[in-house]
Amino acid sequence: MSEMDEAIREFLVESYENLDRLDTEMVVLEERPEDKETLASIFRTIHTIKGTCGFLGYSKLESVAHVGESLLSRLRDGKLRIDDPITSALLAMFDAVRRMLAEIEASGSDGAGDYSELVRTLTALQESGSPPTKAAAPPPAVAAAPVVSAPVVSAPVVSAPVRAPATPAQTGFQVFAKATAQKAEAPAPARGEDARPKEREFPAADAVHTPSETKSNSGVADTNIRVDVGLLDRLMNLVGELVLARNQVLQFSNVVDDSAFAATTQRLNLVTTELQENVMKTRMQPIGNVWGKFPRIVRDVAKSCGKDVQLELEGKDTELDKTIIEAIKDPLTHIVRNSVDHGIETPEVRRAAGKSPQGLLRMRAYHEGGQVNIEISDDGAGIHTDRVKAKAIEKNLITAEQAARMSERELLNLIFLPGFSTAAKVTNVSGRGVGMDVVKTNIEKIGGAVDVSSERGKGTTLKIKIPLTLAIIPALVVNCSKDQYAIPQVSLLELVRLEGDEILREIEDLHGAPVYRLRGRLLPLVHLDKALGLADSTDRSQAINIVVLQADERQFGLIVDDINDTEEIVVKPLGKQLKGIDAFAGATIMGDGRVALILDVLGIAQRASVVSSTRESGTRDAATRVAQSTGERSTLLLFRAGADRRMAIPLSDVARLEEFQRSQLEFAGDGRVVQYRGEILPLLELSELLGWPTSEVRDPLHVVVYTRDGKSIGLVVEQILDIVEEDLVLQKRSRREGTLGSAVIQERVTDLLDVEGVLRRHAQGFFDEADLETARS
Amino acid sequence: MRALVVDDSKAMRVILSQILRDLHFEVLDACDGLDAVKKLEGQGPIELALVDWNMPNMKGIDFVRHVREQNLRPEMRIVMVTTETEMDYVQQALTAGADEYVMKPFTKDVILEKLGLIGIQVR
Repeated sequence: MSEMDEAIREFLVESYENLDRLDTEMVVLEERPEDKETLASIFRTIHTIKGTCGFLGYSKLESVAHVGESLLSRLRDGKLRIDDPITSALLAMFDAVRRMLAEIEASGSDGAGDYSELVRTLTALQESGSPPTKAAAPPPAVAAAPVVSAPVVSAPVVSAPVRAPATPAQTGFQVFAKATAQKAEAPAPARGEDARPKEREFPAADAVHTPSETKSNSGVADTNIRVDVGLLDRLMNLVGELVLARNQVLQFSNVVDDSAFAATTQRLNLVTTELQENVMKTRMQPIGNVWGKFPRIVRDVAKSCGKDVQLELEGKDTELDKTIIEAIKDPLTHIVRNSVDHGIETPEVRRAAGKSPQGLLRMRAYHEGGQVNIEISDDGAGIHTDRVKAKAIEKNLITAEQAARMSERELLNLIFLPGFSTAAKVTNVSGRGVGMDVVKTNIEKIGGAVDVSSERGKGTTLKIKIPLTLAIIPALVVNCSKDQYAIPQVSLLELVRLEGDEILREIEDLHGAPVYRLRGRLLPLVHLDKALGLADSTDRSQAINIVVLQADERQFGLIVDDINDTEEIVVKPLGKQLKGIDAFAGATIMGDGRVALILDVLGIAQRASVVSSTRESGTRDAATRVAQSTGERSTLLLFRAGADRRMAIPLSDVARLEEFQRSQLEFAGDGRVVQYRGEILPLLELSELLGWPTSEVRDPLHVVVYTRDGKSIGLVVEQILDIVEEDLVLQKRSRREGTLGSAVIQERVTDLLDVEGVLRRHAQGFFDEADLETARS
Repeated sequence: MRALVVDDSKAMRVILSQILRDLHFEVLDACDGLDAVKKLEGQGPIELALVDWNMPNMKGIDFVRHVREQNLRPEMRIVMVTTETEMDYVQQALTAGADEYVMKPFTKDVILEKLGLIGIQVR
């Protein structure tokens, strides 16, 4: 009986695998009905299932597979041409077979399901090209009949009705069908012309089987064996433990002075690394395994929404750890459904928009830097950010005020907020109460990230980045307040060490938040001990270690006490005491046997408000993109205000630069003025207005003349520094009164002066309110 | 005695192998015609081959032709495994050099009977 069990198990595994392929193949076939290779492969799958059922005694499954096979054989032999009803019936048959296989797996029998309706449909389709209906039509109709059965077309018209019912072709026995065809052709040589082109159009199946044509598209290699995934998991765990032990031995060998031991350790090290790599490989699966079902899903969803969508899959062989494949299956399915349901328009809308009526959905997977990227892009209508905004406000996810300040990109990312869904009505396709927030959560759970970009009228792209594996990761080990922490290397950008004077010189205080200028960019700094609420015991006046990290497309520096080595660490889940803390992603055991917590970089960044939890990230990117997309660089006037404030205003706002002697100053009303070109020029002392200490009394005064609507005002500054052309990259985090934000210009932190704001506040009498309002809007 | 089972379905190979083992054969198997040709190399005598019709890479009929044309295994009796939908192939197979055919599904007794027809005596 055990051999029987083995046969059944093989049968199930094999059939499932083949069926998974079938869905894809059917979609291919719909596009290219003449693809003989695909037809042959589909036929073979059903044929094999049917053949094996006979031995195993699953008569119901056998009977369904049998009619399916007959229909397929007629398609294969070019006697029928695939069309919509046939495709749907075949897909229904695959589903029925799948259901019965599941029954067999669960209960050992092919179940009590009633498939007689399906069998009838399949039988009827097989005979839909049958003579009685078509042949009774007048001669021209016969020649033009779309579904062709060779004997019918070439048979003499008069005798057709008589001959037709006897034609056994529809029973699927080709041996008879062929004989009839020959017989029928003989008495009607004149009609041969009609028959031959048809035959060329649907060539007989014989060619299908020539070895040259049937390339190696399947084939069970005997060098493969099946292994239980549970076993692989255990292996992976054991290798993890081995890696830990190896790390401990390595550390030990550093202390012991014994060359023989060192050599052995080295060997152990190499073998372990190789073993780990190979075990990891056993768990790798091509992403195509998940993608296989998408052609069917896309087809079904598109059908139910009345859309025409072509799916392109690129990079099917990209390999991923099995657990990750499992984890991304549902999110990907959701995204795909969403794209077809909401992204791609109906053919009419597309045509009206000047696009091809058939929408394109493209999925692409590729490796990049130890990660796998998956892109799902459609050429649909794109995301309507105004609608997104309105929806988010309506659902109280953001305030109108927040919305007004949001960049396009930030608005797009609102779709990932919990409780967000723009679909006007809940469709059975994507409106299942699962939103994009779940997609995002699931992807982030496995250490991935998802990002959306969209162009109105052009389409939407979702980009998912996921790690190759979760079990063993390279990490940087750091010390802080006497404890060790591991930082996953994927987030790590670089390490910076500042010593002595550099600390004072290069770390600036931006309104209470420490920042470091890293090659011209502002890097917010986070003290790890403060972020974790640890005692701030370490003296950092001598040296500071900064770990530059990437979190959610934002960079920040993490200040730690010591930086150790990088190490392969085995990720262990956190105990429930620590599970709820967003700062930690897991734990690991270090070489010295101590436990180290693995930092969740994103969590820490959120904790320290470097990135906010509602993802108002990307200000930098938005600003950069605007600058790039318009191709404009701003020309800025740099000046000093107060003793040490560097500020900038756009040069376009500056009318002139002037110097006035203090003796020229006069007083009018509340303020100081000078006579300038026959007019009275009011002066505003910037450092005074902004509350910054001024240096010693200067003479002459440096004045930036600002003109609008024929009126001018002089801004008194400490010193004119330079005029530069720069891509403005504003950091709005530090924004405060009188400034639009900070940027790094000439490698120095520089505030951008909010001229309009200052004037409105301090020179109300000068400009009309109305002017200011229009100027601001 | 030894037999070679050629079928692209592993489930079928398991089933056929079991039937043959019950008949005291030592069983080799191959997943398609090409694989079968490879398996024939460097093997001792093989008395029987059960060959499926419909396989990728090299289908059954091509395997039969190849073996007979190259006279690879004069001693080997070849039995084509077919289904009723492949009835018209039987003649082709016999012409190509197959010795018998057997239609799926079959039982041990059917095989026994066919083996008798092609002169293989089973204990």
